[in-house]
Amino acid sequence: MNDFEYLEPATVAEACAMLKRYGGEARPYAGGAYLSIVMKQGLIRPKALVNIKKIQELKGIRFDPSEGFVIGALATHRELETSQLIREKLPILCAVEREVANIRVRNVGTVGGNLASGEPLTDLAQVFLALDARVAISGPSGDRTIPLEELFVDLYQTSLGEEEILTRVIVPPPPPATGIEYIRFSSSSVVDKPCVGVAVRISLNADRKTCGTVRIALGCVAPRPMRAQGAEALLTGHPLSPQLVEQAAAAAAEECSPISDLRGSERFKRGIVRVLVRRAMAVAYDRASHASTLRLRSGQAGSA
Amino acid sequence: MKKQIRLRVNGMDRTVEVAPRTSLLEAVRDQLGLTGAKLGCDMQVCGACTLLLDGKPVSACSFLAVDADGSELTTIEGLAAGDRLHPLQEAFMDCGALQCGYCTSGFILTAKALLDEQPRPSEEQIKDYLGGNFCRCGCYQEIIQAVKKVAGI
Amino acid sequence: METTEIGKSVRRLDYKTKVTGRAQYLADMSVPGMCHGKILRSPYPHARIVRIDASKARQISGVVAVLTRDDILHDQGIEPFYGPVFKDQTIVAVEKVRHVGDPVAAVAALTVDAAEEALRMIEVDYEELPAVLSVNDSLKPGAPLVHESVKLPASGFADLAELKPVEGTNICTHFRLNRGDIQRGFAEADRIFEDTFTLPATQHSFLETHACIAQVEPGGRITVWATTQNPFVVRTQLANIFKVPVSKVRVIVPYLGGGYGGKVYPKVEPITVALAQKAGRPVRLVLSREEVFYTITKHAAIIKMKTGVKNDGTLVARECEIHLDTGAYAEIGPRVAKKSGYTAAGPYRIPNLKIDSYSVYTNKPPAGAFRGFGVSQSAWAVESQMDIIAAALKIDPLELRKQNGYDEGDKFVTEETLRAVGLKECLDEVAKSIGWGRMEQWNNGTVEQWSRGENIKRGKGIACMIKATITPSISSAVVKLNEDASLSIYTGTVEMGQGSETVLAQIAGKELGIPLETIQVLGVDTDVVPYDLTTSSSRSTFHMGKAVQLAARDILRQLKQIAAMEYGVPEAQVTFAGGKIRLPEAQLDYSDAMFKRFGMQGGTLVGEGQVKTSTKNEFGEKSTSAFWFLAAGAAEVEVDVDTGRLKLVKYATAVDVGKALNPLGCRQQLAGAAITGIGQALFEEIAYDNGQPINPNFVDYVLPSLGDMPETIDPISVEVPDPNGPFGAKGIGESALIPVAPAIANAVFDAVGVRIKDLPIKAEKIFLALEEMKAKAR
Repeated sequence: MNDFEYLEPATVAEACAMLKRYGGEARPYAGGAYLSIVMKQGLIRPKALVNIKKIQELKGIRFDPSEGFVIGALATHRELETSQLIREKLPILCAVEREVANIRVRNVGTVGGNLASGEPLTDLAQVFLALDARVAISGPSGDRTIPLEELFVDLYQTSLGEEEILTRVIVPPPPPATGIEYIRFSSSSVVDKPCVGVAVRISLNADRKTCGTVRIALGCVAPRPMRAQGAEALLTGHPLSPQLVEQAAAAAAEECSPISDLRGSERFKRGIVRVLVRRAMAVAYDRASHASTLRLRSGQAGSA
Repeated sequence: MKKQIRLRVNGMDRTVEVAPRTSLLEAVRDQLGLTGAKLGCDMQVCGACTLLLDGKPVSACSFLAVDADGSELTTIEGLAAGDRLHPLQEAFMDCGALQCGYCTSGFILTAKALLDEQPRPSEEQIKDYLGGNFCRCGCYQEIIQAVKKVAGI
Repeated sequence: METTEIGKSVRRLDYKTKVTGRAQYLADMSVPGMCHGKILRSPYPHARIVRIDASKARQISGVVAVLTRDDILHDQGIEPFYGPVFKDQTIVAVEKVRHVGDPVAAVAALTVDAAEEALRMIEVDYEELPAVLSVNDSLKPGAPLVHESVKLPASGFADLAELKPVEGTNICTHFRLNRGDIQRGFAEADRIFEDTFTLPATQHSFLETHACIAQVEPGGRITVWATTQNPFVVRTQLANIFKVPVSKVRVIVPYLGGGYGGKVYPKVEPITVALAQKAGRPVRLVLSREEVFYTITKHAAIIKMKTGVKNDGTLVARECEIHLDTGAYAEIGPRVAKKSGYTAAGPYRIPNLKIDSYSVYTNKPPAGAFRGFGVSQSAWAVESQMDIIAAALKIDPLELRKQNGYDEGDKFVTEETLRAVGLKECLDEVAKSIGWGRMEQWNNGTVEQWSRGENIKRGKGIACMIKATITPSISSAVVKLNEDASLSIYTGTVEMGQGSETVLAQIAGKELGIPLETIQVLGVDTDVVPYDLTTSSSRSTFHMGKAVQLAARDILRQLKQIAAMEYGVPEAQVTFAGGKIRLPEAQLDYSDAMFKRFGMQGGTLVGEGQVKTSTKNEFGEKSTSAFWFLAAGAAEVEVDVDTGRLKLVKYATAVDVGKALNPLGCRQQLAGAAITGIGQALFEEIAYDNGQPINPNFVDYVLPSLGDMPETIDPISVEVPDPNGPFGAKGIGESALIPVAPAIANAVFDAVGVRIKDLPIKAEKIFLALEEMKAKAR
C-alpha cells in the first residue's frame, strides 16, 4: 500500500473541500472494507484519505414520514442488519445484510461505501433498486439527490464527482400490498461473492390481484446493478400467472449482459437469472397478497 | 508522516506511532508484540487476524491503525485472567476445536463478541456469526460444539 | 495425576499455548539484527532472461543485499541446482523463467518497504518464449521444452531410483505397472467401460504462508527457522547447495500453521539462506498469500481409464493412462505419479493391468505433495467409474465394491501380500451411517420448500480407497528419563496441527506407566533430535510412535538393569506396573532407582528407538508400503434441478486407524481431511489465464466455510490393528480426504442421473448436464 495523507474532517463541507484540494487524488474513507483491498493491490494510489467517519450528519438510520427511510452513508452493514426500525419495517434488508461478506466486514463496511464503490458483485444495490431508492450527494457546488440507478455507471465507476460524497440513501415508503424478495445465488461456497443476485418487488393495485408497480433488479450480470425493465413491463397491470412469470423470467435473462468468469459462464448466469426471477417473483407476489401494512415480509429464502 | 495514536489494549493504555497506512495488525504485532492474531489472507476473508475493536470483531489486516485511535482493543492475549482461562479457551480445548491453531485466536475472539452480544445464541446464530472465519484443518463441528458449551445450549 | 492411557481421548499438549495466543509460529519470531527478504518473480510463464540490472536497487537506502543469478553462478560455495528428486530447480532463475512467479531475484533490506522498493528498481529484460500451459500442449510433438536437460542427483530416494526424465520431451517421469495379460483380460470381459476423468490444480491454503529465518555465521554455519514438514530433508538439501557438512546446518521448526503436504521439501529455505549469506546478517522472509500460489500446488490430472468387467461385476482388466501436470519443476511429482499408478486399480483385485502414469512438465507453478497425493487423483477416476459400472450392470455400488475389494491376505498389484485390511469394515460403517439403501421420507410441504417445490432431489453415494505410506523410511527417537521420573521426548516429527506431540507422549507414557503431565515433547531442532525422514505420508504415529515406544522400552531395560544390580535381584524378577518397579519383596519409584544409580538427585537415562522400514516384507516379498491405509466415505446430497446447486446433507467417513490412540484426535483428523475433501470436491480450483493464476487469493479461491458444512460429518474409526504399529495403530492423516469427491459425484448421479467427470463439481456443471438431459428428453 502506498503512503498517503490521512485527514479527518468534521463536516461534509470540510470533507468536500479537502477532496477538492487534492484534485481527484484523494478518496473518502469510511470503513475501508473495499478501499483497503484495492489499495493493497495497488489498483488505486491516492495521495490522501479523507476519513469521513467522524461526520455526525452521515450517521444514523431513521424513518421520516415524508421522505421514507433515511439511511446515513456511514451506517454499517451490521447496523442495518440489526436495526430495530429496519427489522420491523423493511425486514428484507436485514435478511440481505445477514449474508453480506462476514461479520468483520459488516462491522466496518458502510452502506455508502458499498454503493459508492461501484463494485458489481454485491447484494444491497439490487434491493435498493427494487425499492426505488435515491441517494443524496453533497459536493462543493451543493447537494443533489438522484435515483440510485443513476449512480451506477460501469464496473467500479459511479457518477459521483471526485469532490463529492454520498451522504445518505433514501427509501420511499413502499405502497400498501407490496411484497419483495431477494435471492442471492453463489456458484461455489456460501461465503463466495454472489454469482447472481435477483430482487423482485411487486406492489399490487387496489384490486389486490393485478400488479401495479413491478421492479426486477439484477446484480452481477451486467457492468452495474440493473433493472430488467422489459420483464417488469410484461407484468404491470396483470395478475400473476405461471405463463407470465415464465415470460418475464425469460425476458430478464435476455435483458442482462453477464460475462463468463470464475463464478460462471454467461449461459449459466442467464439460466440462473431466469430461475431466480421466477422464484423471487412468486414469493414477492405471495407476500404482496398477504401484506397488511407497511411491513415488508421476508422469510429466510434469501439464498438459493 | 507518523501519527501517535492511543489505544486501550486488554485494559492497558498504550501509545504507538504509526504511518497512516500501517494496519492495526502490524501495529499490534510489530509494535506491541502481541502476535496471537495472525496474517492469513490479507483481504478480510479468513479471520485469522480478528481483533475486537470496542468489542466488535474486525479484520485487523485491513483496518488502518490511525482509524483505531482512542479505541479499546481486545486481543487473544487479553482473555485469560491470570492463570484462569476464558471459558471459551477451556471449551475449545475440551471439545478439540483446534488443530494447527493458526485460526484459533480469531475464532475465540469472534465467539466472545457473539456471546457478549447474545449470551444464549441459537446454533444458527453461531453459524452466522462465525461463518466468516476459516479453519483449514477443519474443526468446524468442534468449534460449534465449544461455543454451544459455553453458551449452555 | 493419572497414568497415561491410550484409547481414551486426552486434551492435547499443544492446546494451552495455542488458545492463549502464546504459541510462536515462524512469522511471530525474530532474531537480533534481522532484516527482511522479498522475492522478485517472473511475470511470464516462459521467457529467457536477457539482462538483469540490479544496480539501482542496491542504491535504495536500507537495502543490504540483492541476489541475482550472478551470485549463485559465480560463487564457488554454491551448487546452484537442487530439488528433491531431480536437480531442476535453482535458487533464482538462471537462464530462463519457467512459470509465472518463478523467483528471478531477491532483496534483503532493513525494512519491508525498502525491500519492496528495491524490487521495483531491478531491471529485467525478458525474451518471451512459447509456453506449454497444459499437459496436452506439453506432450505434442515438437512442443517447446520446459527443461532442455535435467540434472540428476548423485543419490536420491530409493523408491524413485528407476524413474528418469525422458530426454527431448516434457515427460518428467513415466511409471509403468503391468500385471497379468491385458489383452486376455479384456477378451474375457463381458463389458468394457472407457472414461476420462479430470481434476484441476488446487492449493493447500494453510493459513500460515511459507516463511523462513536464515542466519549464516562467518564460519559458514547455517541456522534456519523453517516452516517445513521435513527438516532433515531440508538440512540435506541446504548442505548440498551450500557445500557444507550436514552438521553445519541447523534446522529449527516451530509449530506450523498447517502443512497438508505443501511444506515438504525445500521451499523458501534456499533463497533465504543465500540472501542471509550475502547480507551477512539474518534474514526473515514471509511469503504473501499470492506467492504461496506460485510456490506449490496440487497436481491437475487427466486420467483415461478402460476397465473390463464380467456381467456378474467381477473386474478382470484395466488399462489406465494418467497424466499429472507437475508444473515447471519436478518437485516430488515423480512420486505423485508413481502413487497414482500404484493405486489406479483402487482397492480391488484386478488380475490384468496396464498402467502408465506420467508426471509432465508444463510452464505452470510447480505441483507437489498434497494430503493423500497421487491417490486423490487416481481415486477420483477409480471410484467414479465403479459407479458407472454398477449403474450399467444394475449392481448396488456398495456390493460391487465389496465383491471386488481387498481382503486380508490378498495380493496387491505389486504381488505383495496385504495385511490388516479394514476395507469392508469401513464400507459397512459409512453405509450404515448414511442409511445406505434407504431414502428417508422428507417433507416437501414446508413453506421454505414451497418455492423450491419438487425441484430438490436427494441422492447417496459411496467411495473407498487404498493408499501406501512412503517406504523405505527411517524414524528415530530419543527419550530422556530425568531424575524426578519425568520424561523428555526428542523427535523430528513436526507438530503442524495433527496432534503428534500428544500421541507420542501418550505412547511413551503408556509404555512407562507415567502421567502425561510429566512428559515434555521437545520442539524440532536438527541439532538436537535424531533423524526422521519426514512428517508426511500419514507416517508419524506408525513410525515415530513405534520409535518412541522402543525408546521407552530401552529406558525400562536400563531401569531393570539398575534395579537388578542395585538390589541384587535377578533381572527376570524385576517387573513394571503403574509406573513402579516391582521387585519380589519391594516396589520402587523410578526416581528411587535413579537416585540409587547416580547417588544424588541428578542424572539422566537416555533411551533410543529406531524404526527402519524395508523394501522387503515379512513374507520376503518386495514391499511398497510398511502398512496400508484403507478408508471409505459416503455422502448424501440434495441437488436443485433448476440451478444445479448442490447441498451436502450428510457425510460419513470411516478410516481403518488400526488403533485409535487418542480418539478425539482421530475424529479431528478424519473430519478435517473430509472437510478439505469437500472443498476439493465442490469448488476449489486454481484458474489460469495464459499461465497466470487469476485467483491467487482467498476472495476468489474460496475455502470451505462453516456454512458449507453438512449438518453432520460422522468420523468413524475402524480398528484393524497392524502388528507393527504402536499398540496396533496406523496412520490416519490423509485417508479421509480421498473418497470425498467421488462419493459426492456418485451421490449426484444417484440424485439426478448426471455423471460429473471433471472436478470440481460446481453447480454450473450439473446445470449444463441437466439442460442437456432435458433437451434430449424433449
